[in-house]
Amino acid sequence: ECGRISLPTPTVHLGDPITASCIISPNCSHLDPESQILWKLGTELQPGKRQRRLADGRQESTITVPRLDSPWVLLSCCLRWGNSLQILDQAEVQAGYPPAAPHNLSCLMNLTTNSLICQWEPGPNNHLPTNFTLKSFKSRGNCQTQEDAIPDCVPNDGQNHCSIPRRHLQLYQSMGIWVQAENALGTSKSPQLCLVPMDVVKLEPPTLWALAPSPEVAAPQPGCLLFHWEPWKPSLYIEQKCELRHQPQLAEASWALVGPLLSQTLQYELCGLLPSTAYVLQMRCTRWPLPGQWSDWSPSLTLATAQR
Amino acid sequence: PLRPTSSLPQSFLLKCLEQMRKVQADGTVLQERLCATHKLCHAEELVLLGHALGIPQPPLSSCSSQALQLTGCLRQLHSGLVLYQGLLQALAGITPELAPTLDMLQLDISDFALNIWQQMEELGLAQAVPPSQGTMPTFTSAFERRAGGVLVASNLQSFLELAYRALRCFAKP
Repeated sequence: ECGRISLPTPTVHLGDPITASCIISPNCSHLDPESQILWKLGTELQPGKRQRRLADGRQESTITVPRLDSPWVLLSCCLRWGNSLQILDQAEVQAGYPPAAPHNLSCLMNLTTNSLICQWEPGPNNHLPTNFTLKSFKSRGNCQTQEDAIPDCVPNDGQNHCSIPRRHLQLYQSMGIWVQAENALGTSKSPQLCLVPMDVVKLEPPTLWALAPSPEVAAPQPGCLLFHWEPWKPSLYIEQKCELRHQPQLAEASWALVGPLLSQTLQYELCGLLPSTAYVLQMRCTRWPLPGQWSDWSPSLTLATAQR
Repeated sequence: PLRPTSSLPQSFLLKCLEQMRKVQADGTVLQERLCATHKLCHAEELVLLGHALGIPQPPLSSCSSQALQLTGCLRQLHSGLVLYQGLLQALAGITPELAPTLDMLQLDISDFALNIWQQMEELGLAQAVPPSQGTMPTFTSAFERRAGGVLVASNLQSFLELAYRALRCFAKP
């Protein structure tokens, strides 16, 4: 081994100084015991180093870079040999900031994947590799006491969301949840959420169908539309309320909202509309009277009112 | 004992009803799959086997309309759910295809039992020692596990149906 760079830490705060030392063994510099050790930061030679001979004959050079302004630099320990500059060792130095506290943590219970999906905003770039971990525990009431820990949820690289699987959840009990961010310079935590998974359930939208007139189904009144709808099948066990929005297919028309429609009434006659006009209908539902999140709006159903 | 129109939190009762519907939906999926895959569609065809296996059925006398009594009903409901947790654990290894359905049913029953137990604790109704599952039947063959699955699912549906009617009375505003 010819030369060896040693650093107190490979990671420093951006703008901080860094001190490094390089020790060269005698058998490497046998040609000239007083060889001068040189340093390069990236491609630039650096002034201001101190060199001394150790008792065992090795040479040691120490350098202090007053201020690192780049998130990543390559430090090289070199030796002048004839007309060339020989690189004996290199070290990577990273510079950045401790992680900011993640924020805007929110969670939704997804009944399709049967998992609690939480997402957050990571905060400003700190220039360093940063690990995010979603941490949680089972609790009661307002999460003042921790009952059972839940295994950490580690998102895939670079993602700011994580899914806690059903087997780690108690759907009707409170749980405390937060996000931890960690890099080489420190750790930070988001504010803690206290939630009950089923109280943040987000349903899939209902499905709307036209109702063709038949012996059982009278044709709609003039200025009315008749349609049939069904809540999302996996949510049939959940009491819910829905709302309808409709809009005539006319320039600059706006949505009108109708609701609440309870999930037991599966057929609806919408009246007070313009005659012989096409209307776009959409519906969404939410768990109710127990808490929940509104689903997205359903795909549109387009129906036309009869002539007067 | 609490008056029939109980002072139990309305949200607790609504959650219980929702959880019951969820467990019933899970149970229906298990029954449908046992029927579709193994042609075991009617519990009535397995009564003799059921007696031989000794599948216990938990009491719900305090939930019946004639003797409706909320504290007793909640306790019996909780004990029954604990029993069904044990029965479902005894069915483990039923078939690889049914394992996810069985797992979901167990998770939902366990959640439901915990929800009731915690509410009973908060109301000071919980027994000092939580009920145990008791001795469970032993299913010694793949057929017995599947038949046991049909019987347990069928019994569970009846159990929940009765409890649902009882709690619904208390949930009416």
